[in-house]
Amino acid sequence: MGGSYCYDGSFAGLLTLLARLLPQHITPDTISIDPLPQQSLFTDVTVVAADELQAEALWDELEQCLTPSCLKLVTRVFLADRPERELLICRYLLLAWQVGKKIGGMLAHPDVEPLWKLSQQVGREAHRYLGFVRFQEVRGGFYYAAIAPDHRILPLIAHHFAARFRDQQWVIHDTRHGQGIIHDRLRREWLILPMTAHAAPNLTGTEELFQELWRRYFKTLAIAERKNLRLQQGKVPLKVRPWLVEFT
Amino acid sequence: MAVATPLMDKLEILAEGAKYDVSCASSGSFRRNRDGIGNAASCGICHSWTSDGRCVSLLKVLMTNSCIYDCAYCINRRSNDVRRVMLTPAEVAELTIGFYRRNYIEGLFLSTGVVRSPDYTMELLIAAVRTLRQEYRFNGYIHLKLVPGADPLLVREAGLIADRVSVNLELPTREGLALLAPDKSRDAVVAPMQQVNRLIAVNRGERRESRKVPRFVPAGQSTQLIVGATDESDRQIVTLSEQLYRRLDLKRVYYSAFIPVVADTRLPDRPTSPLRREHRLYQADWLLRYYGFSAHELLDDRMPNLESDLDPKTGWALRHLDLFPVEVNRVDYETLLRIPGIGVRSAQRIIWARRQGHLAIDELAKLGVVMKRARYFVTARGRYAGECALESSDLRSRLVTGPVPKKASQLELPLFQPLVGDEAAGLISGEL
Repeated sequence: MGGSYCYDGSFAGLLTLLARLLPQHITPDTISIDPLPQQSLFTDVTVVAADELQAEALWDELEQCLTPSCLKLVTRVFLADRPERELLICRYLLLAWQVGKKIGGMLAHPDVEPLWKLSQQVGREAHRYLGFVRFQEVRGGFYYAAIAPDHRILPLIAHHFAARFRDQQWVIHDTRHGQGIIHDRLRREWLILPMTAHAAPNLTGTEELFQELWRRYFKTLAIAERKNLRLQQGKVPLKVRPWLVEFT
Repeated sequence: MAVATPLMDKLEILAEGAKYDVSCASSGSFRRNRDGIGNAASCGICHSWTSDGRCVSLLKVLMTNSCIYDCAYCINRRSNDVRRVMLTPAEVAELTIGFYRRNYIEGLFLSTGVVRSPDYTMELLIAAVRTLRQEYRFNGYIHLKLVPGADPLLVREAGLIADRVSVNLELPTREGLALLAPDKSRDAVVAPMQQVNRLIAVNRGERRESRKVPRFVPAGQSTQLIVGATDESDRQIVTLSEQLYRRLDLKRVYYSAFIPVVADTRLPDRPTSPLRREHRLYQADWLLRYYGFSAHELLDDRMPNLESDLDPKTGWALRHLDLFPVEVNRVDYETLLRIPGIGVRSAQRIIWARRQGHLAIDELAKLGVVMKRARYFVTARGRYAGECALESSDLRSRLVTGPVPKKASQLELPLFQPLVGDEAAGLISGEL
């Protein structure tokens, strides 16, 4: 068995595809998102269109036979920015289909281990970004933060910021994946939308003052006798620094 | 843009005075955002790391750096020639909210020098926190320093609006404190800690009756010890920490390697600060709190100080070789925790995973076990994967130096074929 499959990139789309593969125990060779990155002449690609009903039915069934923490692994891995994520999910669920709840303990199994490691990576990155988001006060009365995380972590951090800054109009813009969270203070709602920035944000005067205060404060806080740049770089990798006020 | 404002200068001076306080935790409290700004996340969040590798989680700042005391180790001592400034409660609140809204910080850590009297100073701190909590409706994390000698009523008030409170013991022994901080008495430092401990216990009882009773110091209390300013042993320090955890139910004891910030004849003259020692003490501290060790197991009369080239758990294991190796598929959680290279997470994963079948030795690394240490102390399905026997005389040196660095071993591999990693052991044992 095997074969190449293609879906629309949405979670419902993937579930629809899985609803077809799981009952027949088909392990696909590739799962890709259409439009295909590379059209291959000799492979037979099956395109599966998203079907909300089928997707929901499958999810309900998975909820019945798996624990919530197993499902959390799956949803987190879906947010990973890795080409192999669909195959990982598929192999994991195929195994889950056979063994059921037991899969929770099979951490060292070759079909489980890469999945939970990746899920852990996504979760850790999301947690780190709870700290690394830097809002800037923009003219027009809202706060804008740009980030460039490795994975699509916005759905994992939106709730935290919505609870914390509920009296604030804010936007978190994931520049790498071209999406952003928009929080509306009045309606107390947030939405994840496609987003691109065309110009640098127009900062307010207080914003510049606070940025300078923070930079000075941050510099003062280091203890020269304990200098340890390697440790610092492990904690704040260079790739996140362009977006951090204290490193610019 | 170079803006110099009075506020900026003040912040710089007061951060300079506060930065030697080590506590950075923003965890352990849970505060919802009720129609205001901010909440306290129970997991704690670090927002940045300074060039010394310490995390920035809270706005760590002094209310004022003037002080009536003259403690030898302290940068803010009365006799030290530095500019003295003071923030008003309104300024503290404004800075906190400004930084918080931009997500620079998780909350406030407000400490202070003592001006006029302990009571007056404590009231200043409380006024600042009250401004934040009431005027700005700030629900983020606040760590408040208690001023030794302040009125118990003020301590009580502070505990109701802060998430964590702390009093720094600073010096592990009574004699050390008398030598370096002649104005402070040990009892004046311990009394508020005992009071807070009693009030937390009472509050827990009351909250069991009714959830409407407001929390008192929800994130508990902590303290700090300076290491290496006086000549106490690690044994004295670790035993003191154990007492603090057991008797006063402290959440954390922080250790701060002594850095000479002011010259004083009473202070030791050290070219470098004992950072390695501080690190080992933290490791021992973790063993006390999460691994079920007690102080007398780690250190005793014959060994008053922790080894600097081995972590305390590995050191303990080497002194108790008769207990090892243990079979990971059989032993209980408490024993797993005592194996070098296995931590709380990996022990939990082992317990969880072995319900579904016996674990093989190559699977341990996948569960997060650090095999470079654990391999000598465990068997899995009866297999032992250490590169030398447990009785071997070079076990210690292997643990100290660790495995040969990767680059070198890659060059040597084809020549000597010492494929003794987890993979090799797994290949031999196969799937039994």
